[in-house]
This record gives sequence, structure tokens and C-alpha cells, in this order.
Amino acid sequence: MQTAMLAFRNLSRQKRRSVLLGGAIAFGVMIVTLIDGFAGAFVDNVSENFSNLLAGHVFVEGVEKSPKGRDLEIIRDDLALREAAEAAGIEAMYVSRRSGLQGSFKFAGRTATLRVQGVDFAAETFLAERLALASGSLENLPRDGIVIPEPIADKLGVAIGDRLLVTTRTYSGQQNVGEFAVAAVIKDPGILGSVSAYAGRDYVNELLDLAPDEYQALSFYLPSLKGMDEAGDRLHAEVSSRLQAFERKAPGAEGENPILAMMRGEDEETWTGVKYRVTTLNDALAQVQQIVDVLDTASLVILLVLFLIIMVGITNTFRIIMYERIREIGTMRAVGMQRGQVRGLFLYEALFLALGGALAGLAVAALVMLGVGLIDFGLDSPLFIILRNGHLSFRLDWARVAGKVAIVAFLTLAAAFFPARSAAKLDPAVALRTAV
Amino acid sequence: MKRAMISVLLALSVAMAGAQDFKAMLREIDSLGDFGGQDFTATYTIVSEKPGQKPETVQVRVYRRDERDQFVFLFLKPERQKGQGYLKVDDNVWFYDPESGEFAKSTIKESVQDSEARNSDLSRMSYADDYDLEKSSEGKLGAYDVWILELVSKDSEVSWQRVRLYVRKDKPLVLKEEDFSVSGRLMRTVSFPPSYISAGGKQIPSRILIVDEINTGEKSQLTLSDVAVGRLPDDTFTESFLKRAR
Repeated sequence: MQTAMLAFRNLSRQKRRSVLLGGAIAFGVMIVTLIDGFAGAFVDNVSENFSNLLAGHVFVEGVEKSPKGRDLEIIRDDLALREAAEAAGIEAMYVSRRSGLQGSFKFAGRTATLRVQGVDFAAETFLAERLALASGSLENLPRDGIVIPEPIADKLGVAIGDRLLVTTRTYSGQQNVGEFAVAAVIKDPGILGSVSAYAGRDYVNELLDLAPDEYQALSFYLPSLKGMDEAGDRLHAEVSSRLQAFERKAPGAEGENPILAMMRGEDEETWTGVKYRVTTLNDALAQVQQIVDVLDTASLVILLVLFLIIMVGITNTFRIIMYERIREIGTMRAVGMQRGQVRGLFLYEALFLALGGALAGLAVAALVMLGVGLIDFGLDSPLFIILRNGHLSFRLDWARVAGKVAIVAFLTLAAAFFPARSAAKLDPAVALRTAV
Repeated sequence: MKRAMISVLLALSVAMAGAQDFKAMLREIDSLGDFGGQDFTATYTIVSEKPGQKPETVQVRVYRRDERDQFVFLFLKPERQKGQGYLKVDDNVWFYDPESGEFAKSTIKESVQDSEARNSDLSRMSYADDYDLEKSSEGKLGAYDVWILELVSKDSEVSWQRVRLYVRKDKPLVLKEEDFSVSGRLMRTVSFPPSYISAGGKQIPSRILIVDEINTGEKSQLTLSDVAVGRLPDDTFTESFLKRAR
């Protein structure tokens, strides 16, 4: 305890040097904490934004084998699916039934490709709250009304009320043509611009050649992101016990999206009638997790590189400290201080430096996160998919933070170890004779 | 008397039209592209025009083995697409890109490199198998007397739900085809000018003009050359053929 107190006093004797060394450690910790905080919130924000876009966290799609052996996406009757969801204990805030078409939209000689979600606006009341409209309205939407994103409206040069010609395919792949009336324009949804158009499911179904009560995807919007995979597994088990279902997870190539791996596996299967695919948002966003993994690795590499540089500084500084205090060390050794205590003195100084620097780094990182989090990028920001309500957000995993602080402490101790050992090995008589 | 004569003549022509075996006619039309146990090879040059853009030329070498419903399309032009191709194995159509060396699932209904032509235009199709005759009438197309046949697809697995054919009365040769969407709108017109290439004892149109009726001014012209009918090596219809074709 006395050694620790002495070490603390030594640090405060050399304030400027301690601040510089601690500042270097704090800077490294701050950078790594900011990356960790960003990566932590990244998955949550992207998942949250995608769950709004796709209207759910757990999805069921039907794949019907046609007489000629082709796979057609369709759910004709969902009674058994609803029973399965109830048996699986899926407590959804909202349940959506959507169809979707991919079409080439034309207006006055201009063309844009767009994916349109066919939604039941009367049932999906939450959609109106989530769409940031730039113009137009979702009230009294005509049967052929369409809501398109701002960049597409600009590209086609259309305004509210204009009629768009669309060439598309039916659910079985036949060519079809239709017309939509622009009812509303939503603010630029960034990278999701080409998949953020909405129209009434009735008319989308007509173009897809589906009956009004048929659709293509059943989605469950859960109260939170947590537990979606377990919910997906339970639903899959219940669907499998009542109907034909694809395997929940397919062995895919490394880095391959689980849903694509699942669909590739389906190509090799043969069946009759309808078979159901149960997926979750996490399956769809597997690549997002890969981005987070890359960020995590980058954060660790940055930590190690920064601290290798800082370690050189610490080693040199502790060597200088040793020579500066050589007579002091000689005196302490002469009055009975043991070698281990001298070594401990240096190591305690390094530990306090590491912990102080790490705490300062965490505090500065918290201030930066708070400041950056206050900036409003707006809901129409191209970055919107990684934002939470237009703001950058951060989430720290405290176990990881503790792990990183432990690494910092270990590296600092390692850097100070050799000068500490040299100091401990000093002969008291030689040390006392040395002129500094 | 005169009125009676006209009525009789009209009745006779209606009766003759009714007597016409259109199913057999469709089979005969189909047979023009059917080379039995022989394989078919040809080069299709597709020139596509779009308003405000330079015409684009795509050249595709087509290999067909109709007895097993197989085909391979190999792109020869433009340079940036050289080596790309489609392969039909069983019921699956695969697109090959030599840049990635990967095969991706595709469909016969896809258009050929942004032209008005679709893969189905280059492969064998069957009016008799895929369509039912809904209505027939007589008409004139240019200098030719024609049968106008309104066909409706038997199922929803062909590209066009409705097709109107203009077939020469003197020979079972299609002069024009109009393709309609599910909503009943004319989407494209395919003209077969009366200029033919003989191959395997059959007459094949040497030129096809496809006009996009939705996008005014967009059209493609297909010209056939290097037509050959005969047995091709079995490995022509394999992935390895496309991989080494470049």
C-alpha cells in the first residue's frame, strides 16, 4: 500500500510528464471507444430502420411449385400460418401482409426502376407515422395511388397527380403493364431509395395477377429487436409441424447471406404444393454483422498499433525516470527497500498512468459521443439507415470496454516492466555514487 | 338475287374459315423451328435503337438441342460482354459471367442485353403447346392475305398472356406477331419480313424486327447468319463449354 502511495505521489510530482503520457493513452482509448460505440449502435440502428422498411422482424414467404416446376412466390391461404404463429407465441405489435413488384416506371420519356411494396394502408396504420412525406398525402389514397421516394420523383420529373406507366411481371413472370398515380413523395431514404415505394396491395396484386386476398410475405413486427431469432426458430418449428417448410438455416459458403444460401438450397429441392420459408431480419442483415466484425477487428488493430507506439514512449520515459531517480533509488535501497518494492513502485506508476489515461479517454469519448449525438442529420439524410431518428447514436458494451482497458493496462505495464526491472537490479552503492 | 349470292359467298367463306384446322397450322408453324433429332446453330445479330442513343449491336451465337430442350447462348459482341452466356439445363436457365466465373440463375423471359429481344425469342417455343386459339379472322397484311389468330396462353408460365399472329394463307409462315400484357395492352410487335434462310429442310426468317409499343421509338432488329443444322458435341450444352468458350 505504501509503495502504491509512493507511486501516486511520484506521478503527481511530474505533472507535465504524467499528463503527456496519460494523454497519449487517453487518446488511444478515446479513438477505440468511439469506434466500439459506433459499431455497437450500428447493428441496432440498421436493424431498426430495416424493420420499419420491411414492416417486421420475422417473415414468412410461400413458395409454390408450378405445374412446369417453377418456384412462384405466393401465399394463398394463411389460416395455418396464423395458427402456427399463435402456437409459437409470437407476440407481434403489428402483422403485415405484403406483395411486391419490381417495375420499370416511365414518365415523359424518362425511366426509373423501382421496387414497390403492395401494402394494406388500412391495416398498416403505423406506416403513415413512419414515412417522412415531402409532398402529397396518404389520406384518400386512390386505388392506383403510389408513394415514391424523392430521388425517383426528381429523376422522372413527376409531381403529385401525375400518372406513371409501369412495365412489370406477374407473380408467374408474365409481362404486364399498368399505371400508377403519384399520391405522395417521401423524403430521400438514401441507399434504400430503389426499394422505398408503396402502393395499395389491391392494385399491386392486380398487376401481379394475384387475387385480392393473396399476398407474398407475412411479417411480424416484434416489440424489440431482442429475441427475434428465437421467435423465428419457434415459428419455424410450428410451421414445419403443420405445413411444408424449408430448413431454417442452410449451410452456405463463407460470407454468404443466410437467406441466399437458403434459396440456393431450395433450387435443388423438388416438392409439390406450397413450401414456406421462415426468416428473420438478422438473416437478411447478416452482412451488417460482418461490417460490425470488421469494425471490431479494426478497433482492436488500432488499439494495438497505437499502443505499440505509446509503449515505446512509455519505455523510454521510464528509463529516463529511472536515471533521474537513480540516487533516490539508491537511498531507498540503502534504508531497506527490497528489489521487488522498487520494481513495484515503477509498475504502480505505470498502472496508475494507464488507468488514469483510460478513464480520461473514456470521459472524452463520452463527451464526443454526446456532442455528435446532438447533431441532427435529418430524416432525409443519405446516412439515415445508420442513424436513429436522424442522429448518430453510440452503444457501448461495458464488458468489451473493461476488456480494452485491461489490454491498455497490460501493455502499459509491459512497457514499464524492463525499466522497472533495471531499477530494481541497481546496486545501492553504485546508485548512490552516480552523479545525475 | 345479288344479295342472296353475297350471303352464300359470305357463308361459304365463314364455313371455309371454320373448316381451317388452326391447331394443325400452329403445329406446322412450330415445326419450322423444330429440327427433330438435329441440333441447330446460328448467329443472331441484334441491333437495338433507343431515342437519343446510338444504336447498340449485340451478337449472340445460339446452340440448340430441341430434343432435350437445351440451349446455350454465347455473346460474341460487344467486347465488354464477350464470353457471357446463358445455359439451359433441365428447367433451369443460368447466366454465366466470365469476369466472376460464376453462374447465376436467370430466366428465359429476360431480355437479351437490354434489347427488345428476349431469351425466349432465340430459343424454341411452341404456339401449339403453350397457347389456345381464342379467335380467328381473315385479313390482309401488305400484299399478303393472312389469317389473324388470337391466342391465349394455356397457363401463366409463358411471357405473353395473349398473342395475335398474322399467318400467310398460302404457306404457314408468320408475318407478324403482336404480344399483349396480362392487362391487355399491346407491348410489342414482332415482324418477320418475307426473307428466309433454308436450313435442315426448313425455312427460317432471316430477319426479325421487334418494336417496343410501350417505349415509343425503341426497337431491335435481329439478323440470322451462319445457320447450321447437324449434331453438335454433347459437351456443348455444359457449363465447361461456356467457361472455355471465351
